[in-house]
Amino acid sequence: MRKALFPAVLLVLLLLPALKLEGYYYRMLSTIFLWIGLASAWNLTSGFTGYIDFGSVGYFGIGNYATAILMTKAGMPFVPSIAASGILSGLVAQFIGRHTMKLRGAYFGIATLAFAEAASQIVMEFDRTFHITFFEGSHGITLPIAHEETFFYYTFLIVVSLIVLTVFFIDRNKFGYALKAIKEAEDSAELAGVNTRFYKVSVYAITAVMIGVLGGINAYWLTYISPLDVFSVIHTIHMIIMALFGGVGTVFGPVAGAVVLSLANEIIGAKLLYTYLLMLGIILLVVVIFLPRGFIGLLSLRRFKK
Amino acid sequence: MTLFIQALITGLLNGGVYAAYSSGFSLIFGVMNIVNIFHGELIMVGAFTTYWLYTLYNIDPFLTLPLSVLSAGATGYIVQRYIINRVVEAPPMISYLCTFGIHLILANLALLFWSADFRTVTTSYSGVGFSLGQLTIPIARLITFFIAVCTTFGLYLFLEKARYGKAIRAASQDKQMARLVGIDIRKVYALTFALGAAVTGLAGGLISTHFVIYPQMGLPYTIIAFCVVVLGGMGYIPGALVGGLCIGVIQSLTATYLTSGLSIAITFILLFIILVLKPRGIMGKGIVE
Repeated sequence: MRKALFPAVLLVLLLLPALKLEGYYYRMLSTIFLWIGLASAWNLTSGFTGYIDFGSVGYFGIGNYATAILMTKAGMPFVPSIAASGILSGLVAQFIGRHTMKLRGAYFGIATLAFAEAASQIVMEFDRTFHITFFEGSHGITLPIAHEETFFYYTFLIVVSLIVLTVFFIDRNKFGYALKAIKEAEDSAELAGVNTRFYKVSVYAITAVMIGVLGGINAYWLTYISPLDVFSVIHTIHMIIMALFGGVGTVFGPVAGAVVLSLANEIIGAKLLYTYLLMLGIILLVVVIFLPRGFIGLLSLRRFKK
Repeated sequence: MTLFIQALITGLLNGGVYAAYSSGFSLIFGVMNIVNIFHGELIMVGAFTTYWLYTLYNIDPFLTLPLSVLSAGATGYIVQRYIINRVVEAPPMISYLCTFGIHLILANLALLFWSADFRTVTTSYSGVGFSLGQLTIPIARLITFFIAVCTTFGLYLFLEKARYGKAIRAASQDKQMARLVGIDIRKVYALTFALGAAVTGLAGGLISTHFVIYPQMGLPYTIIAFCVVVLGGMGYIPGALVGGLCIGVIQSLTATYLTSGLSIAITFILLFIILVLKPRGIMGKGIVE
């Protein structure tokens, strides 16, 4: 039954546009897909290895800017642009990860947070400092408007399904076991012959590729990006809380968390941003202190007890 | 040359304040192994205490410093006592997700109550300075610098000489042994947090006298505090002074010769190099996780 659930949901979502819904619903579903993708990607590194990344939005921003610059300045088509976004994010992550992944716990968290903030500042100030026009600083970049909502609906659906499937397969093979071993006891894993450094940096780069591609789609979808929007630390906060809320380190936990919290954001966040963020802080505390395994964890625990 | 020396002086004056609030961060980390992500919010609490007392009752900012100390210290104590003590034995990941949650709560409560406006404390002596040749030294910032450096030094002396300070150091060096000799660990933790927060609140009060303050100001300060203590050595209080002065000077030089907007980017690049090359800090006395 449970195995059939994922293909069934996917099929329904694929056929949904046949109903010819209003544009609003596609936009909302696309937003939910985007967050499912981001939370799942974040969870792949941080949930599986226990290295909490506070700078994931850095790769989102890099993805956004790579696609925007390639499409507007180099005239590249959409699909190669988002692929390039992914590759660029992955390469940056390869470099950042090689150094930051040596750090344990909170050192890693703050080093990545600082990375994202620095990336944001560089994009913001680069043009003004060196007197050229490349990132366009705080003006932001406007992309061409080309497609209707269903195009993005399908793009997000396909990419996000691929991301969730990738996490699903990693969860069940040697790669995933190595990551979980790192989370449980990194030094013992190393002693047992797991090349922890290789796995950590690889998974960090894979996460960055996913987030970078999603960033690229986001840029074309929104048609206008600026450093303060796409590098906002709030995006990282969302990824963390969605994953924690649903169940960190599981495959479908972040998916559930993303659906619930994107809807909450749609309803409350648009009007009462501060109240919403305050609520997120409280949820974070409650989840961390009382439900460290998230709501999925709560469900599976209950089943286990029966 | 004058420009360079002026930038150097400005940097050192700022660096003293960095040192004061980073020493609180370093203390909390050194004793409890907690990276306090809501550290910047403690600065914000201290700064707003000064701001409101000045705006509503017209009390001089330097006279309200004890109240900034009290408000931030109380915030730190309450949070430690009722929230962080629950997770202090859990893996470090849990404790810093916790401090992250508190960061969200404090920053957004402040936004709800005080709105996102930028505010300043402008006194009669703001901007008044004396000249040394072609250099200008603002008096308020010089006083701020002295208070900040004395605070950092005082914290160091307290930890070295006072009975409670020794208990705090004992708890940070060996938790089990400290328990065996009769130190109440939870009490020491709450005290440490309150002490670290109080020093930070004092720095917040000082910051309000010459920087713009707003509810969301916290996070950049937290990042700077982290850079400062990594540079000077995590958990090593005199390191915070050295690190603070270094970062202050580097930022001031960046602002003078490049743009002020790049200061965090430069600070981060420095942090990155230090983490990779000398994780114990430039003085080699920090704690490495």
